[in-house]
Amino acid sequence: MEIIKKIVQLEHKRWVIGSSLIALILLLPVIFLFTNIFEIEQSSFVYLWKNLLLDYSFNTFYLISITSFFALLFGIFPAWYVSNYKFKFRVFYDIALFLPLAIPTYIMAFTYSDLLSYTGPLQSFFRNNYPDFSQILNNDYLQIEILGILLGLALYPYVYTASRVSFSLIGSTYINMSKNLGLSSTKLFFKVIIPLSKPAIFSGLFLVIMEVLNEYGAVKYFGVNTYTTGIFRAWFSMGNENTAIQLACLLIFVVFIILFIEKLSHKKSKFYYSTNSKIEKLSTPAKNKYIYIYTLCSLPFILGFLIPFFYILKNSINNIKNIDFSRLLELCINSLQVSTISTVLIIIIALLFLYVEKISKLKFSTFISQVTSLGYVIPGAVIGLGVILLFTKITMFNSFSLIGSFYVLIYAYVFRFLAVGKSPIKSSLEKQPESFDDTAKTLGLGPFKILQKIHFPINRLALITAFIVTFVDLLKELPITLILRPFNFDTLATQTYEFAIEEMMVESSSYSLAIILIGSVMLIFLKYIINKQINAS
Amino acid sequence: MKRILVFISAFLILFSCDETPNKSNEINLYSQRHYKVDEQQYEAFEKQTGIKVNVVKANADELIERLKNEGKNSPADLFITVDAGKLQKAKDLDLLQKISSPIINQNIDADLKDVNGYWIPITYRARIIVYSKDRVNVEELSTYDNLSNEKWRNKVLVRSSSNAYNQALLSSIIANEGEESASNWANQLVKNFARDPKGNDRDQVKAIAAGQGDLAIVNSYYIGLLLSSENEEEIKAGNSVGVFFPNQGPDESGSHINVSGIGLAKNAPNKENAIKLMEFLTSESAQKTYTNTSYEYPANPNVEPNEIVKNWGAFKKDVLDLNQLGVFRNKAIEIFDKSDWK
Repeated sequence: MEIIKKIVQLEHKRWVIGSSLIALILLLPVIFLFTNIFEIEQSSFVYLWKNLLLDYSFNTFYLISITSFFALLFGIFPAWYVSNYKFKFRVFYDIALFLPLAIPTYIMAFTYSDLLSYTGPLQSFFRNNYPDFSQILNNDYLQIEILGILLGLALYPYVYTASRVSFSLIGSTYINMSKNLGLSSTKLFFKVIIPLSKPAIFSGLFLVIMEVLNEYGAVKYFGVNTYTTGIFRAWFSMGNENTAIQLACLLIFVVFIILFIEKLSHKKSKFYYSTNSKIEKLSTPAKNKYIYIYTLCSLPFILGFLIPFFYILKNSINNIKNIDFSRLLELCINSLQVSTISTVLIIIIALLFLYVEKISKLKFSTFISQVTSLGYVIPGAVIGLGVILLFTKITMFNSFSLIGSFYVLIYAYVFRFLAVGKSPIKSSLEKQPESFDDTAKTLGLGPFKILQKIHFPINRLALITAFIVTFVDLLKELPITLILRPFNFDTLATQTYEFAIEEMMVESSSYSLAIILIGSVMLIFLKYIINKQINAS
Repeated sequence: MKRILVFISAFLILFSCDETPNKSNEINLYSQRHYKVDEQQYEAFEKQTGIKVNVVKANADELIERLKNEGKNSPADLFITVDAGKLQKAKDLDLLQKISSPIINQNIDADLKDVNGYWIPITYRARIIVYSKDRVNVEELSTYDNLSNEKWRNKVLVRSSSNAYNQALLSSIIANEGEESASNWANQLVKNFARDPKGNDRDQVKAIAAGQGDLAIVNSYYIGLLLSSENEEEIKAGNSVGVFFPNQGPDESGSHINVSGIGLAKNAPNKENAIKLMEFLTSESAQKTYTNTSYEYPANPNVEPNEIVKNWGAFKKDVLDLNQLGVFRNKAIEIFDKSDWK
């Protein structure tokens, strides 16, 4: 009764209830999965504990650490240089550093291992021309450390984007004040800029970690057993759902810890980007600094984009007579279509959750909003199966025979990628002072109008960023599409993967090239808009 | 905001017009195979019969889950895998029905047939040992068991135990020699690993060429694929190793083989068409296409393997009932986990 009373008294009850219902619908497959097969079976836990857990945990955390280290290294420094200094090709770098996001992690891993392999171009060249030197290169490159670096290269743009936006929004007041207090530029960076941008950097890093936890194709190829490969192995190979669920719980537990750390870091540094201080003008770096700037800005771009891109391009050109262009076009249209629809839905739903969280100021709404981000950490194939279970076991849904339709595919996409769309919008909403809402309210605007007239325009930049990252992520999506797609439906990603796992890198190249090109064009186009807005504000 | 809502509804309406497969002249496949050769085969079948072939491709276990959950409403007619164990698993879950066609019966090798008649083979492959021609004396090779001998310490290469081919191999050892002996074999073999298991079968061959190990356990057709590669370096790598069929002695079981096969879905809505496709795929012309593009062994005894494969010579197959590969699957994975075979 108390609760009902409270709900009735609630200020924005329609919004809260509405968003809760949507959250419930989104979470249904997971809820169903857990209630359907969760029985505590001691024997499977003992088995897991005795044989596998240590190895899985070690690999998972080790891989996260290496990837995070490189993602931060490749992301933060270039973001700072590009935001703060004037140097040649600055605008070019700003766009270029974004581009590795267009390359799926599995393509990055497969491409590099092909490139570095014993029969690949690098080792072959040295073996045939400089046999003495070639021995140095003759290594086993399928190592967890190498995988960490490759994932870091594929994922650092999440950190770059988040910190870039944050760095350029830190007002000059802070920077000038610090400079007046005699801080050197290095100190300024580590003592002022980084702490102020911590929430933004962390939100980028969070996405990186989630991608690592969900990564399957590359991890399996490199023989690194993580929680995710463990879930697949237990569930699919052994048919042992219990062990799979226990591992999935562990995985979700890990994510909650990470979310908790993120929250702590937010609480400690409650900071609003000042509204009226102008953005710091670009400064000219000291002469000796150029070398750092160019090295740190070029390295991630060359390794993370240029090399794989040209290798794939070379393969496509060599194979040009075998490319089936009508098929290529068909798959491009398929990919664009499902990605666009899903992205639009994701942005709208993400905005709704975050806005309700903001206006209701209820712990419950925050919780709901965070729980819906869970989709991002659950391996795609597990979501796929949860969705299948849901739509086939519940007779009410069954009569429509929804499985194998686009609706279900998109539904799964929305659940899986909501967190991606939410992250940039969230950090942007948090930057706005509460005074905006309060003023608007005093002016008599309702919540919908506030959203439309105030938050929509001010957060346009964040909405666009959200659109890019979600769209590009969807373009690369693999496991959900594989299991939920309709008959005869392929995307660029599924086709690339099918060739790649059969070790047909040459045949896969035209499709992966299409993913990279579409992704790059999107990224460049939207980056252009973002920059225009940063400069205009 | 309103405009956006209109936009979305427009999209959704657009989508509701998506094509629902019409039930008359077609056939729906759930397939683990996704090679170019399969598309060629289906196209040829469409041309010949006018029956449209629809395909969903995914991992075998995921397809089994999908079949299981869809139950009676499943649109699937055929379930195609590259592992007899998965067909057995599907049969065990009551997802398949018996296949009866005199034509198929005539087309396929009696040794490869499912004793219960729930699935048919289309091709088969052997899990063989390849060795460095420079560093290994072939006289010293004999059986899978021999690979666990101390003399091969730090010399053996093999991919991860998550891989279905390794699981099938160990299942066959459990079926032939018992659990304890299989467990000992795995424990000893792990000590001989040249490196942690990783990569795919071709990578193991390349690792021999690179000198990271001397022996590898791989599927036969990968050697054919390497030797017919467009990359000269791959051909060189393929030529640096010799092919050895293990367990050929008079008292030994023969080399482990596995099939790529097809099961008929229990509730197949287009059963007649499904049988027609199976008859087509086991016919001599289709079998020739398979063996010449994927270097697998044909299931039709009237068709000769590809030249490259034929050069390795004939071998004694392990005649174990291939359903056993599915029966012992979980046991095999358990042994792998305990032996620390990653």
